[in-house]
Amino acid sequence: MTSEELEILGESELSLLETLDHVLNLGLVVAGEITISVANIELIFVGLNLLVGSTETVYKILGKRLDNLDQSERSTDISSD
Amino acid sequence: MNLYAYCLCQEMDWSTLETVTGVAGARPFVMPYDGIVAVVSKVDGSPIAVTRENVLSHERVISHVFAQTTPLPFRFGALLRPAEIDLYVASNRQALLAMLARVRGAVEMSVKIIHEAGSGGDAAHGRGEPAQAGEGIGRGAMFLAVKQRELAEGKMIEGRAREIANWLAEHLVGVVNDSFVRVRPTAGLAVKVAHLVERRGLDEYREQLKRAREERPELLFLTSGPWPPYSFCDLTT
Repeated sequence: MTSEELEILGESELSLLETLDHVLNLGLVVAGEITISVANIELIFVGLNLLVGSTETVYKILGKRLDNLDQSERSTDISSD
Repeated sequence: MNLYAYCLCQEMDWSTLETVTGVAGARPFVMPYDGIVAVVSKVDGSPIAVTRENVLSHERVISHVFAQTTPLPFRFGALLRPAEIDLYVASNRQALLAMLARVRGAVEMSVKIIHEAGSGGDAAHGRGEPAQAGEGIGRGAMFLAVKQRELAEGKMIEGRAREIANWLAEHLVGVVNDSFVRVRPTAGLAVKVAHLVERRGLDEYREQLKRAREERPELLFLTSGPWPPYSFCDLTT
């Protein structure tokens, strides 16, 4: 991590968690592809506005997209009636 | 060829990058864009595994830059074609320059404040008492009663978290350039705050934070930093 001191009592696990919290959830995001793999499972989302994040973040993004998709499909059904 | 992007920055001694190893063992280098510099390395195009080694390599390169200047770090996994970086910088140029000016000479300090819901006798008072059907209360009414109670508890916890965030902000006036607050209305973690602090003002910031902590012994503080300004480079805000 960047810091010479992690003020949380120097626990290496906490240091790594803090690093993960910053590196995976925050920072500049570029439209493009998710190009990471987790446990050898590739996550590639072509053409989305981005996205790399912790599973919590990814699920949140995916959840919203699925919700939007559901609503879109519902509104399509309604308008076609 | 793809490029793995670490950060954007302005001035620094680029020759020192030769001493750093980036993601997948690649050597980082810079791509200049008239006032903005992208720090990148070549990768073979395969997905970047979220491993301890790769995450730390990502962070190591950014830390190296951060030791000399304050960069705008990319989120882990920014794998792009050169033309995509060109387009990104060109299309966001003014916003990126403004962002670089905003964080210049500053660092991010992270504060997580944890409190037990119910400490102080508030939010979770009565929590855990199971609702029971009977005496004219049906299952549906019982379900709604539980939901109503959960909603009220959630609002109370969120209110308390916001009170804590405001209290902390009042104690750090003058030593913090900017704040990014995330309230987590859960039973445990209440508030996550990122502070943008001048490098030269770090001692005063720590001193004021220390005084604030002493004022609220019922709260558990987890602090870390200095970090590159991960929380202050969202182009969408």
